[in-house]
Amino acid sequence: MSQFLTSETIVVALVLVATLVAIVARRRRLPYTVSLVLMGLFIAIGTPWKYQATPDLILAIFVPPLVFEAAFQIDLRELRENLALILTLAVPGVLLTTLLVGGIAAFGAHLPVGPAMVFGAVIAATDPVAVVSLFRALGVPRKLAVTVEGESLFNDGTAIVVFRIALAAVMTDTFDPVMGVYDFLLVSVGGIGVGLVLGWIIAQLLVRLDDRLIESSLTTVLAFGAYLAAEYFDVSGVLAVVVAGLVCGNVGMTHTQPSTKIMIFNLWEYLAFLSNSVVFLLIGLNVELALLWENLGAIAVAVMAVVGSRAIVVYGLSAVTRLLHRGRSISSSWRHVLFWGGLRGAISLALALSLPATLPGREELQAMTFGVVLFTLLAQGTTIQYLLDRLGLTERSPHRVAREARIGRLFAAQAGLRRLEQLYQEGLLPDEMWIGLRDGYRQDQMQVTYEMQELFREHAELEEEMLFQARREALKAERGALWDALRRDLLSDPTYEELSTEIDYRLEALDLIYSTRHEPRPADGEVER
Amino acid sequence: MRRIVCATRGGEAGRRTQEYAISLAKERGVRLDFLCVFDPGFAQDLSKELAAAVYDEQRWLGRALLGIARARAKKEGVHAGVEVRFGPVLETIEAYLRQVDASALVIGAPRVDSALTMFKPNRMRGFAERVAEHTGVEVIVVTPPDE
Repeated sequence: MSQFLTSETIVVALVLVATLVAIVARRRRLPYTVSLVLMGLFIAIGTPWKYQATPDLILAIFVPPLVFEAAFQIDLRELRENLALILTLAVPGVLLTTLLVGGIAAFGAHLPVGPAMVFGAVIAATDPVAVVSLFRALGVPRKLAVTVEGESLFNDGTAIVVFRIALAAVMTDTFDPVMGVYDFLLVSVGGIGVGLVLGWIIAQLLVRLDDRLIESSLTTVLAFGAYLAAEYFDVSGVLAVVVAGLVCGNVGMTHTQPSTKIMIFNLWEYLAFLSNSVVFLLIGLNVELALLWENLGAIAVAVMAVVGSRAIVVYGLSAVTRLLHRGRSISSSWRHVLFWGGLRGAISLALALSLPATLPGREELQAMTFGVVLFTLLAQGTTIQYLLDRLGLTERSPHRVAREARIGRLFAAQAGLRRLEQLYQEGLLPDEMWIGLRDGYRQDQMQVTYEMQELFREHAELEEEMLFQARREALKAERGALWDALRRDLLSDPTYEELSTEIDYRLEALDLIYSTRHEPRPADGEVER
Repeated sequence: MRRIVCATRGGEAGRRTQEYAISLAKERGVRLDFLCVFDPGFAQDLSKELAAAVYDEQRWLGRALLGIARARAKKEGVHAGVEVRFGPVLETIEAYLRQVDASALVIGAPRVDSALTMFKPNRMRGFAERVAEHTGVEVIVVTPPDE
């Protein structure tokens, strides 16, 4: 068999195994990513088949879709609320983690300081895929999910930059702190710049196009192209993809047709699922149990270092953020989730695999990395749901679920009715059939509306939530109308800018008002402001 | 004719409180005013633009909220006025009661287990007592049926 066909067979086999694991995990309600790692381990132990993942394969092929998808679907307004904390955790947090983990590893595992710091950087990036997918399934507050995801998005890029600098220092045996800071800024800002430029260009094209296939292709080119372009200029590819995804998702999608949006989001959901599946399977496949066994002591030190430093970083830096931002901070329960949800995954694995063969203690560092990744996935990943339950973050009252179901039914009925009306107007439905079908739908709608009113009567807080939702929708529609007016030359650019900024402020204000009305007060021991 | 004022801000207790006030106004045959008070205190740390947007949006939401209450009153044949005001809640309500020469104030107490509650039952009672003492107006606290 040719090399090409062999590679294709491996890819198909990996996707097949991942899909089978997904089927079992969903039916048995098991954590999907943990199941994939276990399956990878099982294959690695039970069969002679070995597949060595190269760092380039993970970083250039699998990481861009994962990062792009996450950034693409994040609403910048949601991100902005906890941006200070996210950036604090993602930049100073990564630097602090590197130093703390490196220091503890050097002291506890008797590693030379240089390689210990490289290990600190390897393990500094969090990978909350397992946690975030659980958040979605359990209905955890959206802002918490955005905070966890936002931190991970930015710290991936930061950790890779720190890793490069630390590794270069060890390999050349020289470290100039000033040059280190300069390199860090250059690579980070360069990556952000590439992401901004490419993201903006593609976003402008998306705004002007109305073709779902072309628009989907453009987002694909952007996700992989941003990584490649940044790497070509020796700046951070991951940061470039993050920024490109944010810009494209927030600017490029504002006026996209709903059907195109659905297609693009589905495409990215699928590509992220595929990448995620293969990456976690590869983690299992690449773990050498014998190597782990030989380095059990060092792994134990590494696990303690990672968990301990995560606690210091999350609790310490969130306290600092609170001081710096006039008392605004996240609740203590959110901090616990950020701490215990700081899993490690694909990025750490890729960085560990990319360690040069000549690095002192390379195998030990790889074993420590795999050990930490396995621990966080198997111990933290499987217990995070328990923590969320204990903290009361997964509670969805039956009446909220009932309201959601009724809104869903109303939406579906309205779409059905619109389609029928279209068919009727096109002459494809005879009069009496249209009237019969229309009345059937109207009766369904009336029944659901009545049920909603009854729900509102019993649970008046739902009515208030609906008011906020409706207002939010209306403001978004107002912004869309302004855009249409601009395109039809009814508005000039400055007027459009002024009015749309006003609406953006109103949307932000609405979210603020909602959160101040719905977050428990300090007296309840939850939110500190 | 002296009127009844219903201070409401939506939420879990909103509808219950409004319906009680409507039935009371109908029973006594007096005019009903729905009052919504926003304390702009939390906006003081925000940027100028955002603080202005919060003010405008609160006014908009207040009007919408009271518009719903007024529609409910109309359905029951009760004529109701609406008023959105800004300021410290206690003082603003008291000032309004004096201004319109109100005979009664209706406020709602949320469910004790409600995560949204700003007002615990003892705080609500204290609030009602203070308003009654300061203004001489009858204050009715509408509690959940099962509490």
